Formats: sequence, structure tokens, C-alpha cells
Amino acid sequence: MDRNHMHPAIERVLGNIEKVMIGKRDVAELSLVALLAGGHVLLEDVPGVGKTMMVRALAKSVGAAFKRIQFTPDLLPSDVTGVSIYNPKEMEFQFRPGPIMGNIILADEINRTSPKTQSALLEGMEESSVTIDGVTHRLEKPFFVMATQNPIEYEGTYPLPEAQLDRFLLKMKMGYPDIADEMEVLNRAQRIPPIEDLEPVMDLAELRSLQKEIKEVHVDDTIKRYIVEIANQTRNHSSVYLGASPRGSIALMKAAQAYAFMYGRDYVLPDDIQYLASAVFVHRIILRSEAKFEGITAEEVVERVIARVPVPVQRLVK
Amino acid sequence: MSSPKVQIDFVSFLLYVLGFFLLWEWLRPVEELTDTSNIIVFLVFLILSLLLAFFGVSLLLSSFIKVLYILYALHYLYFEGSFFDFSWIPVFAADMAHNFGLIVERDWPGITNLFRSLLFFILLWLMTYLIQYWLINRRRIFIFFFMTLIYITVLDTFTPYEADAAIVRTAITGFAVMGILTFNRLMDQEGLKKEASLSRKWMIPLAALIALSTGLGFAAPKAEPIWPDPVPFIKSYGQNSGGDGQGIQKIGYGEDDSRLGGPFIGDNAVVFRAEVESRHYWKVETKDTYTGKGWVTSQAEGEYLPFGNEDEIPVSSFIENDAIETTEETSSVYTFMNYPHVVYPLGLKSINASPFITYEVETATEKIRSLDGGRPFALDEYKLGFDVPEYSVTAMKEAGAKAESLPDDYMARYTQLPEELPERVRELALEITQDKTDWFEKARELERYFRRAEYTYSQTDVAVPEDNEDYVDQFLFDTKQGYCDNFSSSMVVLARSIGLPARWVKGYTEGEFKQSIGSGLRLFEITNNNAHSWVEIYFPEMGWVPFEPTQGFNNNVQFNFDTAGQNASQPEAEEPKETEAPVKPDEPTETVAEKPSFSIKELWGNIENFFKENWKVIGAVILAAGVLVFVLFLKRGKWLPHYFIWRFKKTKNDEHFSKAYLILLKELDRYGLKRKNGQTLREYAKYIDSFFSTKEMGRLTARYEEFVYRGVLKEGSWNDTKELWENLIKKTIA
Repeated sequence: MDRNHMHPAIERVLGNIEKVMIGKRDVAELSLVALLAGGHVLLEDVPGVGKTMMVRALAKSVGAAFKRIQFTPDLLPSDVTGVSIYNPKEMEFQFRPGPIMGNIILADEINRTSPKTQSALLEGMEESSVTIDGVTHRLEKPFFVMATQNPIEYEGTYPLPEAQLDRFLLKMKMGYPDIADEMEVLNRAQRIPPIEDLEPVMDLAELRSLQKEIKEVHVDDTIKRYIVEIANQTRNHSSVYLGASPRGSIALMKAAQAYAFMYGRDYVLPDDIQYLASAVFVHRIILRSEAKFEGITAEEVVERVIARVPVPVQRLVK
Repeated sequence: MSSPKVQIDFVSFLLYVLGFFLLWEWLRPVEELTDTSNIIVFLVFLILSLLLAFFGVSLLLSSFIKVLYILYALHYLYFEGSFFDFSWIPVFAADMAHNFGLIVERDWPGITNLFRSLLFFILLWLMTYLIQYWLINRRRIFIFFFMTLIYITVLDTFTPYEADAAIVRTAITGFAVMGILTFNRLMDQEGLKKEASLSRKWMIPLAALIALSTGLGFAAPKAEPIWPDPVPFIKSYGQNSGGDGQGIQKIGYGEDDSRLGGPFIGDNAVVFRAEVESRHYWKVETKDTYTGKGWVTSQAEGEYLPFGNEDEIPVSSFIENDAIETTEETSSVYTFMNYPHVVYPLGLKSINASPFITYEVETATEKIRSLDGGRPFALDEYKLGFDVPEYSVTAMKEAGAKAESLPDDYMARYTQLPEELPERVRELALEITQDKTDWFEKARELERYFRRAEYTYSQTDVAVPEDNEDYVDQFLFDTKQGYCDNFSSSMVVLARSIGLPARWVKGYTEGEFKQSIGSGLRLFEITNNNAHSWVEIYFPEMGWVPFEPTQGFNNNVQFNFDTAGQNASQPEAEEPKETEAPVKPDEPTETVAEKPSFSIKELWGNIENFFKENWKVIGAVILAAGVLVFVLFLKRGKWLPHYFIWRFKKTKNDEHFSKAYLILLKELDRYGLKRKNGQTLREYAKYIDSFFSTKEMGRLTARYEEFVYRGVLKEGSWNDTKELWENLIKKTIA
């Protein structure tokens, strides 16, 4: 995509992140898309590739409160949401907010904890509120969760159920940096970690107004139809057991709006859809076991579907 | 189709009136060229339908009124008695059922007039609906206007219909309608309310322009065409008719014999069938004046002598006397073509058809026309009573001596020859007849002369005389091959040149024997191929005696030689020919320009024959056209982009932007730069730009993306990007 027309505020944020994250512009962009679209991100990758750094840089750049939850098998839901503690002095229960009460949350290794704890987080993500001891606490906006999970094949994991995966707007991989980038990483590591010096380039109020603007980005009927056709094709694909849900279609549209906005457009292009389809759909598609044995991945399925669905080049005739 | 809008205002009314005038132009020639009469009934129907449409009468009610009118009109045209006694309804229903049966059997000629009229009404109904749809809903009339002009000009060119006034009328009406409709369309497009001042501003210049152009057209000098009139060529090639002798002629009965010659091809269209007791030729008319190129009549045409059913038929044939033994016979004729003339044998005594029919004979040609209520009317069938003569040769031989008894003007009329006739024709006649003294022997000698081997019968390799050549002379001395016209004309001319009064007879041979149908009757079928011409020579006190000079033909004229005795060898001059008389077509004809007989049936026959005869040519033309189209398709890279550039050059309308872009996509695809199904326009544009090393496609595409995916087209988009588009599409030129 053409970077020249990028939205200036967003370009600022991305530039800021790039100061600490080397060669991960695409991941930064996608994270920002999710943040702007009001969604959450699931990062699946091995430890040590900079997931935490990424989120912290993002949080710092937009001046958001950053919280981190390290999920372990013995973590309890209250460790996430917060807990009411009896205060003997004042003779009453006092609510002590948990780490979920922040703006940007890194939920590290989410699949290492029990489903019960997982769902506590996921409820918060879905409802933008948590209920503790019968009291509902609204979460502050923006509320953005970046969850990481180890690749599922690793031992000692509780895979997230499909319904909960559906709540992440995007799923992506960090990936290892290439050789040049990694050398640069080493260079920087010799000095003080630059993350500490990162200054915010945007405040939360600005972020919220951007989020509002994004909702106004025009999605033409031709594009909606294109989205629906892609979603439909994932459902009818021979290797797919469960295709993208209508919630997936909505997610794709919202992500595309944010992405188009990021690139300074007030309308969505098929290019946006194509770029985002894989990130939006892969975690929502469940492959048949045969397909899995054959080594087919959800990414491949989405790629094939996109190659097959004709791009709309004319206005819809009503 | 949506139901037509109703607008009751003066302009709409004017539109309907003008629409009516255009439709009327279609009906006028129908009246003149076909045997349709009472056209006023149909006109009233048109007016009624258009009025109903104008006032927006509901479909149900207007249909009811129209059906009622149609029934009333049909009753008026075809039934007696009161409309309301309803006794005619069963007859009408039976007729409908009968006609549906005929349609299923595809027996088109059998369809009754009643049913035809009904179908015509339905056609008019459809037409009024179409007119209304074009005028009020579509606001476009050009196609109809154009079709009307074509219709009129074609009729003017190929039929006797004189369309001079019709063209002017149509042009004025058509331009007026188009002008008004354009105004209406503009008003609609711009969403303007119709105001009297606005429409006046439009209508007055419109009227002035039409008046001015029409006036100019009238006043301006009319230049002669700068190329030769192509019509005769088209006629002779397409219709295989054309009386000026150039090109190929069509066989069949025709009127114009003023220029004979040229090859012709057969035509199997059935003219009539006849039940006869003995075979005989069928006469239609005779001609008496030889021009050197063909035959015309000496007297003014169009003089008719009427006669009724009981009257003696005023046609000259043989004169009844003792020397001619006669046998009474009857023949029945069942016609297949709508000719209003009667075919009749020699010695005609009576014609029996419907008692209401009267007849008249054209004095110049002895052509008998059948009339119904004073108008030419084609009979479906009729019965002829006639005497078959057997001439006594003795009497015939003596007849020539009484030549003085003939009136001078009669002799002059039937011994007429053109002054330019070469002398060698007369010398030849004298040479042929030098041994003979009496008229009969001379005539027989002349007739026999053509049976010589040096003359050959041919339909195809027949010359047309040049301006300075004589038709008969050319045949007798130069070409020596031809068909009946050559033989018969030559014999008439030879006979006249030695003083025998002779005339040229046109008609049909006995036709092709089909079957015996009992009680001594035989059924013959006479097609256009049986059209023929032969000779009659007048013998004083004996009357007209037919002779047959054409090789391979035999007129079955009986001569009684018993009393003549000495000439016993002569009969076989006639008889043997029967064996060598395969049904050879003859008598080419000439324009099918018979005014009263222009009919759908004949037209259809002509079309059918045209296809039958020319299927090779048509096939070749279609094949060639197919190849041409295919080549054009293969080479479309060379011309299609030019066409598109030309098409979009003038326009400034942004609506064309997307059209043009999609065409560009198609052209690029044809050029070989295929866009994959899942490839977005932006990716594709990048690919195109890198291929042609430009940035034009990207810029054009950005504009287009905005249109498609945002639904907004900036004003002037097409103007801004036209150049990009042109540059790109030029690149696709192979």
C-alpha cells in the first residue's frame, strides 16, 4: 500500500513503534488496526520475538495505561478481574481492581491457564465490563487486549474454544526478524532498552475520536457483497469443517474500515479486504481432520478463496 | 413493460395525432397495392385505439371497446343482417375454427378474408400499443420513423406505389414527432416543469425549422443521381424479373413484353390447376405490335368492354362455319395465385363462377378480367365452356384467297412491322415459303422451319438485342437459340412479312399431368414454368388459328386432312412432338408489376422462389459474411480500439467514464494482459503500468476505484482522465 497518503496521526504512532520494533511494521499496523477498530488481537508465536515489546510500545505511543497478565495454570479469575477484600478497619469489602482494568492489556500465554480464567478475560473483552461479586464494573475505553499464545502443539496448554477465538478481531504471527533486522536488534540491546525513552505521540481522547471517525468510512455495497462472498466460500470449502461466521464478516468489514482509514481513505477497497481476510478469518475457520492431516492450513484456504472470488469491478446494479 | 403513463395535454394529443399519421402511411400503400378495400374501417380502428390510449382508458374497458369494434367491423364487412341478431356469431366461430385448422396445416393460401381481417386488426392493435409505448413511455420514435421511410421508399422503388407525397408527409410528421419527443425528454432529464413559455420557445423554432427545410427541399433544384439507377439491377438479380431484358428473367406470367431476350430460370410456383377433358393451351392475352425489341399493344391500354354471365364473350377466335367441326368441352380452373384475369382456351363460350362476378375484356389484348362490384377480383375457381375446333385443311387452303375481304385497318394492324426490320427477315420468309401458294401451307412451312436442327431451344444462353439490333433478326440469323418468345415472335414477324395477319399470344401450356380423376377428366397443374407464348394467324372466314413454332411444344390443334388428301404426310408434323415434349418451361417474364395482383401470396411465392433459386448464392453470401465477421473478429485488435476512441471522443458525460474503463479492461484482456479473478484493480493497474512502463493506469484506476467503491464520481472525471484512457487504449492496438 501506498504510504504517502497515510493518516498523519497514525503514521506518527507507527513511526514511534518502529523506533523500538525493528522490521515489524506489518504487525504494528495490524495491531493498530485492531486497536482503532475496537477489537482485540491474538498473537501466536514462540516466546522471545518481541510480543511484549510490541504491546508496550503501542501503549506508550498512545499514552494508554498498560497492564500485563502472565497467565499460568494456577491463575484464578479474580487474579484477572480484581477482588473484593474485607477491610477490617472500615468493616467492609473493598474492591481492588485486577489487571484487566487498564487500557491496553497484554495477556501473555493465554492458553496456559484454565478455561475458567480464560473466560474471565474473554468476558471482559466481549462485554467491555466485568462482574465481581454481583457488581458490574465498566472497563475504561479504549480497551484493547493483545493476547499471546504458544503454538498449540506445545505441551501444557488449554486451547481456546472456537467461540472464544471468535472474539479476537485479528490473529497474527510475529515471526522471527530477518538477519539484518536481528543484527540491528542486537545492536540496540547493547544500549539501554529504548522502550523506556518512548514518548506518547497521541492521547487517548484523540484515539477515541479516531475510533469514531473510522465508523464513518464508507463500505460500498459492492465491497459488502465481496466480503460476504469470501465468507461464504470459506464455509463451502471442501477442507473446512466450520467456516467464518457472520461475526467474522462484520470483523472483516470493521478491520477494513480501520485499515482504509489508516491509509487516508474514507472508503474501503477490495485490496483492504484481501490484505486483512487472512488475519481476520484464520482463527475462525476449523479445518476438517483430513485436511489437517494433509497439511492444509487455514491460511492456505483463505488464500485460495481470495484467489477464486471475483473482485468486484463494477457497481452493483440494483 | 410498464403500463403507459397517461398525460392529457395538448402536446400529448399532438403526439398521438402525429403517431396516427405515421401509422396511416403504412396503411395507404396497403390499399393501393393489395386487394384490401374498406381501409377506412381500419383507420377508424386506429383512431379509436389511439383515442382510448390518449385518455388512459383502463386496459379492461379499452380492450372491451376494441373487441366490440372489431366484431362490429368484421360483421359490417363480411356479414349480412343486423349486428344484434347474433345469428352470424356461429358462422364467425366456425370460420375461426376452420382457419385455426388451416394454420395448423400451414395452408396459408386457404385462410379466409374474414380471418385475415381479424389478424390485421390484431396487428393494428399491437401497433397502436407500440406507438403509445414509443411516444409516451420511451419518448423515442426514430426507429419507427426510419422503418416507415424504408417501407415507403422500398414500396416506391419496387412497386407501382407512388410515394412522392408520402415521403414528404412522413418526413414532416417524423421530424415533428422527434422534435417534440426530444423536448419532452429534455424536460424529464432536467426535471423541469413544462411551462407554456418554455414549450413555445421550443415548438416555434421546431415548426419553423421543419417548414424551412421542407420548403427548401421543395424549392431546391433536384440533382440527377450521379450513379446509374441500381434498381433494375437489384430487381433483375434479386427478383429475377425486370422487363428491360438485362440480366436474368423470371419465368411466369407478366405483362411487359416490350423488351424480350435474356436468360431466365424456372419457377415451380403453381399458378392454377385445371380439370380438363382434353389438353389445351391457356390464353391470357395477345399482343399485336412488334417494336423490334418486343411486343406492345397498338391500342390504348385500359379500354375495357364489360360483359355479363349470359353475354357472348367478346374474344375473337375461330369463326364458326361448316369447315370447322367443333366439340363442346368444359374445363375447371382452380387458381393458386391472385391474378384477376381469367385463363381461357381457344373457342371460349362461357365462364362460370359466382353469379355476382362480372367480366370485362381489355380490347387491346383480349385479356379477360373478373370483377366483383366493379373492382378487379381474383377468382378462386371457375368453369369454362368452350368449343374445340377441328379445322378443315381444304377450307384453310382456300381461305387465303379471300384476303381482300378483310378490312384494311385490320390487315394493317396484324401485319404491322417496324420500319427498321432488316430486309433479310422478309427475304428469309419468302425463301421458306417460295414453293407454297396458299396461306395455310405458308404458315405450316414457317412453323416447320423452326424445327430445323440449326435452331436450338435454350433457356439460359439467350441473347438480348443491342440497341441497333432486332430481336427477331438476331435470333433468326445470329444466335439461333432461344425459348418460346424467340420462336413465336420470329414466326409472327415472318408471317407478317409475307402478308399473313398474325398476332402473338401469351398464356400457359397445358401444364403437367397430375392424375385422372374419373369421368374422362384429367387434372393438370400449371406452374409458372408453363408460361408460354405462341402464334395465331388469321384466316378469312376461319378466324384465328393457333400455330406452335417453339421446338418441343405442341398445341394439340387438330387439322382435318381427310378432305385435303394430298398432304397425308403432314399430321406427324404435329404428333411426334408429343414425345419430345417434356414439360419445358418457357416464356420468361417480366416485371411482376401488375398493379391489382400485388398480393402477399405472390410476394411470399416470390420470396420462396428467390431462396430456392438462389440458395447457392445466398449460402455463399452468408458464408462470405461469416468469414468476414470471423476475420474482423480475429483482427479486432486493429480496429476495435479505434472504434472506442472514436465513440468516446466527443462525449463529456461522466457516465461514460465507467463504461470506458470497463472497455479498457476488456481490451487489455484481449491484448493478453489478463486480470486474474482475485486480482484487485489496483494490483492489476500496477501490473499494467509496469508492463507499459507508465503510471497512467494507476491514475485512471484510482479515479475509477473511487467511483466503484465509494459511489462518488467527481465532476469532470471523464474529461480529466480521457487522455489517460486514450493513451492506454491506443497501446492495446495490435
